[in-house]
Amino acid sequence: MNELTAIINLVGTEAVRVILGVVGVLAFVVVNALVLTWLERKVAGHMQRRIGPKEVGPFGLLQPFADMIKLLGKEILTPANVDKPIYYLAPVLIFVPVLVSFIVIPFDGFLQAKDINVGILVILAFSSLSVFSILLAGWGSNNKYSLIGAVRSVAQNVAYEIPLMLALLPVVFMTNSLSLRDIVEAQKGLWFIGKWQFFAFLIYFIAGVAETNRTPFDLPEAESELVAGYHTEYSGMRFALFQFAEFSNIFIICAIATTFFLGGYNGPILPGIIWFFIKTYFLVFVIMWFRWTFPRVRFDQLLNFSWKVLIPVALLNLLVTGGLLKL
Amino acid sequence: MGKGGFHLETQDPIIRLAIADKFLNLARANSLWPMTFGLACCALEMMAASMARFDIARFGAEVFRPSPRQADLMIVAGTVTKKMAPTLITLYEQMPSPKWVLAFGSCAISGGPFVFEGQYNILEGVDKIVPVDVYIPGCPPRPEGLLEGLMKLEEKITGTRRFPTPEQKW
Amino acid sequence: MVKAIFEDIRKKLNNIDVKEIAYAERGYHLAIEANLTDIVAIVEFFNSKGFYLADLCCVDYVEYLELVYFFNNHQKLCRVKTTLKLTPEKPVAPTISHIYTMAHWYEREIHEFFGVYFDGHPNLTYFFLHDGIDHYPLRKQQIPVPPEDKKLLNSFKPEEEEDYFSINLGPQHPSTHGVLRVVLRMDGEYVLSAEPVMGYLHRMHEKMAENRPYLQFLPNPARMDYPAALLFNLAHVTTIEKLCSIEVPPRAQYIRTITCELNRIASHLLYLGSFPADLGGLTPFLYAFDDREQILDILERITGSRLTYCYFRFGGLYNDIDDTFIDGTKQFIKRMRERLGMYEKLITKNVIFINRVTGTGILKQSEIPLYGCSGPVIRGSGIPFDMRKVEPYAAYADIDFEIPTGHTGDNMDRYMVRMREMEISLGIIEEAVKKLPSGPYNAEKVPKKLKPPKGDIYHVVESTRGETGVYVVSDESDIPYRMRWRVPSFSNLMTFPALAKGTLLADAIATLGNYDIVVPEIDR
Repeated sequence: MNELTAIINLVGTEAVRVILGVVGVLAFVVVNALVLTWLERKVAGHMQRRIGPKEVGPFGLLQPFADMIKLLGKEILTPANVDKPIYYLAPVLIFVPVLVSFIVIPFDGFLQAKDINVGILVILAFSSLSVFSILLAGWGSNNKYSLIGAVRSVAQNVAYEIPLMLALLPVVFMTNSLSLRDIVEAQKGLWFIGKWQFFAFLIYFIAGVAETNRTPFDLPEAESELVAGYHTEYSGMRFALFQFAEFSNIFIICAIATTFFLGGYNGPILPGIIWFFIKTYFLVFVIMWFRWTFPRVRFDQLLNFSWKVLIPVALLNLLVTGGLLKL
Repeated sequence: MGKGGFHLETQDPIIRLAIADKFLNLARANSLWPMTFGLACCALEMMAASMARFDIARFGAEVFRPSPRQADLMIVAGTVTKKMAPTLITLYEQMPSPKWVLAFGSCAISGGPFVFEGQYNILEGVDKIVPVDVYIPGCPPRPEGLLEGLMKLEEKITGTRRFPTPEQKW
Repeated sequence: MVKAIFEDIRKKLNNIDVKEIAYAERGYHLAIEANLTDIVAIVEFFNSKGFYLADLCCVDYVEYLELVYFFNNHQKLCRVKTTLKLTPEKPVAPTISHIYTMAHWYEREIHEFFGVYFDGHPNLTYFFLHDGIDHYPLRKQQIPVPPEDKKLLNSFKPEEEEDYFSINLGPQHPSTHGVLRVVLRMDGEYVLSAEPVMGYLHRMHEKMAENRPYLQFLPNPARMDYPAALLFNLAHVTTIEKLCSIEVPPRAQYIRTITCELNRIASHLLYLGSFPADLGGLTPFLYAFDDREQILDILERITGSRLTYCYFRFGGLYNDIDDTFIDGTKQFIKRMRERLGMYEKLITKNVIFINRVTGTGILKQSEIPLYGCSGPVIRGSGIPFDMRKVEPYAAYADIDFEIPTGHTGDNMDRYMVRMREMEISLGIIEEAVKKLPSGPYNAEKVPKKLKPPKGDIYHVVESTRGETGVYVVSDESDIPYRMRWRVPSFSNLMTFPALAKGTLLADAIATLGNYDIVVPEIDR
């Protein structure tokens, strides 16, 4: 026992804390994906005047487990003539930005795997990598539909990254720090959405929906045009990994929106983590609501909207915030 | 069913995992993902079965995947013509195992009302080219028929039936 | 109008054998017998007068083959039948595809079913059939396909090019259109050319009609256009009744009108669900099907089926309606009017939907006679032409309703025309229910083995997609000699290659969904 404490003291409690944090984050990613699968089908059902899964366990709660076990038991199929290294790498690579982003999100006052002092920069940098893995998936599949889906995704992600960043900058101005913990602490009194950042919140939310390829911006996996977009040729667990990554991305976008604009884990009476989950899952519900309400935008309308509407408004917001801070 | 039905020779698996098999089959039966393969009139009844009134989503099967790589149930709803048959075989072979086929409607079972002396273009039953697991008769069958066919398929996969059949009650 | 055309033909084209026909007996006003030398001149004459080619078909009288051309006018009804006799061995006819663009596909169909060669046709390859067919299907005798023709039959495989790629839309497609395959040549996201490949659902309806008595063919029309089965049923039944001069009692006519309009609303609800689904909005599908289930419940009580109805008989109906039907219909009308308001708010006023749909897929009014389109497609472009007003059948002559039209002919106009048609149908049903007479629902003494008198007849009905025509040739036996179905989706789809050229893929798919085609009707 003494040797163990000696070793731990040698390595440092910091390392143990980080390892525990990473394990916790991995577990949370899986649980979150399962919960969101169930939530999506239930929300879809109730919006369409029916109940979703009901028979598999009470209220269909065991449905995501059935899905996952079924996908695990599927034949591992590699289509002919695919580019094997790229085809195998794409579903794995899509998880890298997800895991890195989860490490810096503050779930509660002390529940953060590691508070890096350039936290938001890490997240933004790594989320640009997710388009890379979609491109790999589209190219490596040896399928024209996948290629069109991947190419659309690249243009869409590049176009909407800029408003995403520009909408987060005013908050950074107001707190003088890039660390997520500091940003949440600065919202102890009034949330930033109340401090004149309503438009920034809107721009960030819209750009976030576009970044995660959700309706109305789900052109890369447009079901009625391209058969299934960039993941047409993936089956079994690889397809499940793409879905996991998509749901995790949704969670990350909403978590960052909560952190930056809605006060993070601040809130009366209930513990911080409950408030965090309430706010984040409410935003997740709004994103799912969008999916079942809106049709898809067309490709040129998508790009026009980003370059001609969102970026000027985001720049204006930035200017006004900077000006107000100076005064 | 039909003349010269298609049969698959199945081999016994080398490794048997009794309880794991049971759980796998239970999971597979409760999460059957159909492929959108509506050909003719029966397609509309298949769509009606996934709509709000009959709601196939209750049983976990509302995720209609358009790509065959991600589906495990092919519901052949409608007449299969000789021009369409190679496409059907390609799609069947693209689906990863384990996979099942439901023949929905009389045209998929045995050609339906289009069989007459001198017919030159339809396939008299889809079981001539793919092995079929459940046959659902009707022209077109009611959506409740599709749900009953789904129950029968689940019984085939797991060995137990989810709801009792009506005869057992009285 | 008929007299004017008659005089015009006599003046401009000499040595033409043109006769006036009793319209009530045959369904057309003038009959022209052409020969090989002057058929092109006749067709050019009708093109210059603004007529459109309603149908082009072929009948095999064993000693000769007869090509039948039907011309009609959007301004005033004047149907002209032109026939051309061909020799049975190696029949050759001049093509008219340079005058009427729709003849491209019609002539290919006649080529593969009858073996007629068209001189000057740019692409006389097979359309519906596959390369395993050895004999021409619709000929009365077994005439084998010559080996040099078989080389043309290979399935459509475009060549790969450097800068552009070809992509297949279908035949297994997530949209609800059935087995339609479109080969798109694309330059990135832009469509360079779109070529539909048909025949994946060819179920030999016309051959079946020549093999069974009239009564046994009754289930077939419903399988051709399954969302609007009663309307096709009506086309079939009314044609045979006209041919045999069977008088249908007024109660049956009114009930036919009510059920047909209910079916029209059900079909438009299917369109209302599937068109936004093509654009990406999946929820209206479920709401529309909810309403559709109400209609199906009402109709199932009296007809016995949910989808493929076979309710009409020669001379009337299968059984009578009762008070529950009328009460259910009245409740449905009330409910549907509120629901239409809801659809307006959910879909029609949705900003994304408006931006996707306005200004795309514009079909100009001047192009319409070349293609022979009909239905909401032409009403969206501004032509107020509806067969229910022009050639009234059933009880439409007694009921007052208006015809909705659009202005520019884009996707939004066609969508609005269909929404308006739903409201108008509700009005028609209300009026018909009010005016419903009592009496017998079946004509008396209709023989079981129907033997119509010798002759031919052409009758047209306005189904949900446009003008549906039935051309029956009878030779006094109880089996039809030839039954030809002129389906609206076939000529509507012909405009698709022209409209999709140069547009984005998303727009092309939206336009395709907006035609509201039903593939089994095209493939018959």
